[in-house]
Amino acid sequence: MTRSLILSRRHLVAGAALTTLAMPGIVRAQAKDPIKLGTAMPLTGSQAGYGADFIVGMRMAAKDVNDAGGIAGRPVEILALDTQADPQLGINAVNRFIGVEKLPMFFIAWSAVVKAVAPVANREKVLAINTGANAPEIAHLGDYVYTAFPLADVDISKLARYTVNTLAKKRAAVLYINNDTGIDAAKIYRENFTAAGGQVVAFEAYDPKATEFTGMLLKTRAANPDMVHVHGLLTDVPQVIAQMRQLGMTQRVSTYSVAYNPKIIEQLGAAAEGLIVTSLAPGVEENPKVAPFIERWKKEIGRAPNGLPYIQYQYDMVLLAKAMYEYLDKAGKPATGDTLIEALNTVKEFALPLTGKLVIDGHRVDKPVYLLTVEKGKFVPLTTLT
Amino acid sequence: MYEPVILAQIFWTGVATSAPHVLMTLGFALTLKVTGLWNFAQAGFMAIAFYTMFFALNGLDLPIFVAVLLAIGTTIAASLATEVYGLQVLRERQSGNLMFFIFTLILSQFIMYVITLIFGTEPQTLFKSILSPVQIVGGVAVSDWDLLGVGLMIGGMAALWLFMAFTKEGQFLTAVSDNAKLAELYGISARRSYRVTAVIASLFIVASMYLVGSHGGVVPNSPLELILGAVLGTLLGGIGRVFAAAAASIFLALIQSFSILVLASRWQNLLLYGFLFIAIVVFPRGVRLPKFRFALAGR
Repeated sequence: MTRSLILSRRHLVAGAALTTLAMPGIVRAQAKDPIKLGTAMPLTGSQAGYGADFIVGMRMAAKDVNDAGGIAGRPVEILALDTQADPQLGINAVNRFIGVEKLPMFFIAWSAVVKAVAPVANREKVLAINTGANAPEIAHLGDYVYTAFPLADVDISKLARYTVNTLAKKRAAVLYINNDTGIDAAKIYRENFTAAGGQVVAFEAYDPKATEFTGMLLKTRAANPDMVHVHGLLTDVPQVIAQMRQLGMTQRVSTYSVAYNPKIIEQLGAAAEGLIVTSLAPGVEENPKVAPFIERWKKEIGRAPNGLPYIQYQYDMVLLAKAMYEYLDKAGKPATGDTLIEALNTVKEFALPLTGKLVIDGHRVDKPVYLLTVEKGKFVPLTTLT
Repeated sequence: MYEPVILAQIFWTGVATSAPHVLMTLGFALTLKVTGLWNFAQAGFMAIAFYTMFFALNGLDLPIFVAVLLAIGTTIAASLATEVYGLQVLRERQSGNLMFFIFTLILSQFIMYVITLIFGTEPQTLFKSILSPVQIVGGVAVSDWDLLGVGLMIGGMAALWLFMAFTKEGQFLTAVSDNAKLAELYGISARRSYRVTAVIASLFIVASMYLVGSHGGVVPNSPLELILGAVLGTLLGGIGRVFAAAAASIFLALIQSFSILVLASRWQNLLLYGFLFIAIVVFPRGVRLPKFRFALAGR
């Protein structure tokens, strides 16, 4: 009995040693305090379809990072708070990140929310990284507000120029939601479309709560455009297009990455044919890592992700944070808002798995724009604008 | 923009899109007339009606008529349960108007939170496609949804008028709305009238949410936005004047639609709040048009 007990202890010790040798990263990661990555997204409310999936994407990345040993030997933990895409709730969430959790950095999205929390980040010297909002003003929100997501002046300007130069459309109507996202993007579209030699013949904003667009569309129809750009949200873009078609408007429609969602095709059916959307992340054709990611998502979540390109960015944000913290670890510096900004600007180029190379260019980033169009009920690549 | 065809299109679409609001207003104004309550719990019942149909159609793959019947069942059940176990209890306690108001508002919020937990907050439509077949009639695009909406609106108003004017139960509702205590002296049960009102309002709610949910996306708190239109119609039409409230809803929809001729479209919804403000301050008893008198009518 005694002998067998001794053997069994030896086995245990040997087993533990082997496990430690085999998975040093995991053991070290579990032994140290976690690195908390705060992210404030709409988890309830009309934008939760995206916001909740953003968090899923980040948690998948955190799991992958932890399985590979964590960040500088420390496990990653995602701390997600709800903003409902509401600026005030965004401020509450960020106050908690800073005041209670003492985080030196947080991730944020939705233009109005990013703008609202920017003064808090600047005042408290905490780094705010935009992961999905595209209002161009974000580049001017202060020293502590950075973006890892291309702003509207990247995709919308390229789309507007492509529409004139390649699609040879000369008369555009711009219909946009009357909020931070829509107003800024519509202006950029108009500036670039006009600069490329086109003419914006209708420029109409609609109320974010509107469900009936007939009057606006009749005005647009009277202006006789040959292209219609709609810049809204997932709740209203399909309705605008549906009502357009019902009024006999057959013009080709473009929009942006928010409409790169299979639900749009489902809701619009044949009326979605020819719709042009942008994507700021490479798709299955351009990046071999995207297809396995989608498969994994479907396997774990049981459906396709809402807004795939956005989720690619959320996944990659954890890898971005990993690179920044590893820089600080090597430099022997503590993580503060200032040192994290130093890491961001010094490393400057980040090779991210799902969205490709990210180059920090001050408070902006530039990326290729992938255009897709709806053909036979599916999104297919149209072109890539660099 | 001032061509007859465009004006006709704006008029037709304005009338058609007023349909769900008119149906909602009929239920809301009738409830106010009979029970004397601003019943904001109806926003919660609207959410129940929509999500019952949504789940029956998309979760259980049931045919549409079964989904509608289920929605009628759940909405009536919720409405009656609120009447019997909530409002009746408050009446027995002789609670003040403020307590009724708070109760109905909290109940609607509670229902919406529960629905949010179950169904999430992604915008949902009853049918996968929101496109409705369209015919061009005299240059005006008329969709099947428009026709259904206008049909339900006219049918709903006619049915309510016939019910109120020609059935004993309808006349009891009028009697209770005039003076519940006096009506009870004549053997009319006010409680029964309140419950009948709850059932009728539920039918209007289901019809309204069918139209809303087949036209665009609905999230759990959409009904709170929608009920604002019913409140405004009721205020403009005058408390206790159900059909005037319905007419006010059509008028508001037309004003909003035609405003595009002079205002940017982003201001259209603001008009609703502007009217609400004016109605409360200037027309607390509703807008009353002068009665037309015909010389022969009185002879």
